[in-house]
Amino acid sequence: MVSDFFYPNAGGVESHLYHLSQRLIQRGHKVIIITHAYGNRTGIRCLTNGLKVYHVPIMVVFQEATPPTLYGFFPIFRSIVLREQISIVHGHQAFSSMCHEAIIHARTMGLKTCFTDHSLFGFSDPSSIVMNKFLKFTLSDIDHVVCVSHTSKENTVLRAALTPQNVSVIPNAVIASRFTPDPSMQDPNVTTIVVISRQTYRKGMDLLVAVVPRICRKYSKVRFIIGGDGPKRIDLEQMREKHLLHDRVDLGSIKAHEVRNTLVRGQIFLNTSLTEAFCIGIVEAACAGLLVVSTKVGGVPEVLPRHMILFAKPEEDDLVEAIERSIEMIQRKEVQPAKFNDELKEMYSWVNVAERTEKVYDAILQTRDPPLIERLRSYYGCGVFVGKLFCIMIALDYLFWVYLEWILPRDEIEIAPKFPYKKFKKMCQRADKEDELEHNH
Amino acid sequence: MERMPTVFNYCPRDGRPFRVDEQICPLCDFQSLHAPWIQSPQKAPWRKLLYVRQDYPDNYVDDTFLEELQKNANVRQYEYWSVVLESTIITQHISSIVIFVAVFIYLLNKQLSAHALIIIGTAATAIGYIFWDWSNTMLTPESNFQRRKIFKGAALFFLTLLGLTPILKTLTVTTSPDTIWALTVILFLANLSFHDYGSDNRRNIKYPGSLSTNAAIFASVVLASRFETNLHVFGLMAFAVEWFALFPMLRRQVRSVSIRGNLALTIVLFLTATTLFTRISAAIVVIYILGMAFVTFVCPFWLIWIQRYKNEIHGPWDEARPKIQHGRSVDYN
Repeated sequence: MVSDFFYPNAGGVESHLYHLSQRLIQRGHKVIIITHAYGNRTGIRCLTNGLKVYHVPIMVVFQEATPPTLYGFFPIFRSIVLREQISIVHGHQAFSSMCHEAIIHARTMGLKTCFTDHSLFGFSDPSSIVMNKFLKFTLSDIDHVVCVSHTSKENTVLRAALTPQNVSVIPNAVIASRFTPDPSMQDPNVTTIVVISRQTYRKGMDLLVAVVPRICRKYSKVRFIIGGDGPKRIDLEQMREKHLLHDRVDLGSIKAHEVRNTLVRGQIFLNTSLTEAFCIGIVEAACAGLLVVSTKVGGVPEVLPRHMILFAKPEEDDLVEAIERSIEMIQRKEVQPAKFNDELKEMYSWVNVAERTEKVYDAILQTRDPPLIERLRSYYGCGVFVGKLFCIMIALDYLFWVYLEWILPRDEIEIAPKFPYKKFKKMCQRADKEDELEHNH
Repeated sequence: MERMPTVFNYCPRDGRPFRVDEQICPLCDFQSLHAPWIQSPQKAPWRKLLYVRQDYPDNYVDDTFLEELQKNANVRQYEYWSVVLESTIITQHISSIVIFVAVFIYLLNKQLSAHALIIIGTAATAIGYIFWDWSNTMLTPESNFQRRKIFKGAALFFLTLLGLTPILKTLTVTTSPDTIWALTVILFLANLSFHDYGSDNRRNIKYPGSLSTNAAIFASVVLASRFETNLHVFGLMAFAVEWFALFPMLRRQVRSVSIRGNLALTIVLFLTATTLFTRISAAIVVIYILGMAFVTFVCPFWLIWIQRYKNEIHGPWDEARPKIQHGRSVDYN
């Protein structure tokens, strides 16, 4: 697994990587994660169940992403891959240049590669155009791509000009047991609407700013809890000042482990995103027993069964109407959100995700390795000028690899011992039993 | 095994709720009483949903794949002659710059007296103002102009300009002519590239427009230092203000009033520029005519031809644009 984004940074990709790796380890695979150094967190770290994380010292430029180093990452990447006897390199998130580089180098070294895309991109703004070119470059010669929703798959296929058969849809998952509903936490006298998201333009905070005062004016017994932080925080605070809603709108940033406790205080979860590949937030909210109101964008309509969610267009009036409907549904007790957890437990589990990812790995292990000339041909097809440029880059990469093989021979790289997961598990169990016995005494 | 047909309260394809009387989704013909095995006895059809386990591999590609893709949805098809007509906005502006340069050269060579320029300029401004005022009252009768304010402003401005003339004259007098010419060319190019061609609104206060006007005025300040008398400097500066600040407003007005008037104005400007420059340089006239022909006739054709490569893709993954009422509009794109 390679991505710029991993703990201690918090976010969807980070937790996806962690949970997927954990489940794959439980299924008897060996998984390591390569990411960049976070502050003084450098070198190798071991997480639960022997999940090894390599924090490669690369400079960070913007929002935890590293700049493209082209070949700078290759020597250390090669050593890690050889040390750990890796056979599949799985990159995550298109923003991460480390993931792109890892995929290219892995292909040069003759390893199997896989890529997971976690977000959607348009086709019209300059940053997306550049991003899409990069993606096309890396994905020209990839074995398989995983997307988190069907909409995301369509998007990725178009962006990177892939064969749709080479793209699988494997949704994200939640740990349903961490989001158990708790009706006793709710305030029975008022209806509480919870919003938890990064407060940015893309998350539709402008809509939220417009909607909150209107709902508060109409219903005297509705409260808002708005959790999160970001550049749009000021707009929300101004809205609260202007409409004198200090006693009815709670603003505050929340830590990842407090999400559940915040969620269960509400009856309705509101998501105002303008674009969303999957939106794990609404699944977590539904798990915690909240009725979800969401804008109908991107992959959101695929995520939740219709009885758990109310859709609205990303327009102020429509959103207000949907919230009104949901408030009435809650007040008349037309829905039983407390049952959502059991239903979702089956739908989105990490075990299922790991199983399906494993299938992808099995499939790509069966594929034949194309010779270098074949790879060059697929890069050549990227474009009239870029095609040639990409070919030069790949050829150089290949030569660099040959040079590395000569200067740092394979057999001089020490192989890391495998983490004895089964033994570890047994020891854990024994320790648990001893603890229990001690308690009993 | 006997199976009950599934009753859908909403359409799984587009999420539209079924009304009580609706059997079929009006958007996609999906039946609310869904019994897919009637069509295919072995397999339920694939649905674009994540929360159901479906009997299809993860990389299954359905026929509905990319159904919601829209290509070139917002593309406007251009017509050759209408584009030619639109190109007059650009040719008019190029012509006006050429005319200004010609006037400067005449003034410098003393083929045109400063008195004549000031008189012609004032008269033309007066006529232009009368037209502008008349057409404005015609188009928007309810708007009340404060004519007194405009006249007061104009008088004050020209008096200030007159007062500043000696300063403007000596401002860049020590700079060498080569620098002045090069600077003028750059400034006029800036004027040409940042001119506000697009917006039709008459009360234009956008930044690109002001940048362009400033560049032109600065160019004339720089040029004015080449004159010997204050009257010349004042004449050129007054003309520059009329020509680059007021005349574009008048042109915009003409364009919104009548197409023919616009065309006539273009031709008049073109002929004026040509005649003025024939006495200065034949080569420039040829280049100017060729350039005009290129902008007017070749560029529209080029634009239409290049349209075939237009490939605009829209789909559900696009960032939605939030619609917010009550005057709080937010537009970041």
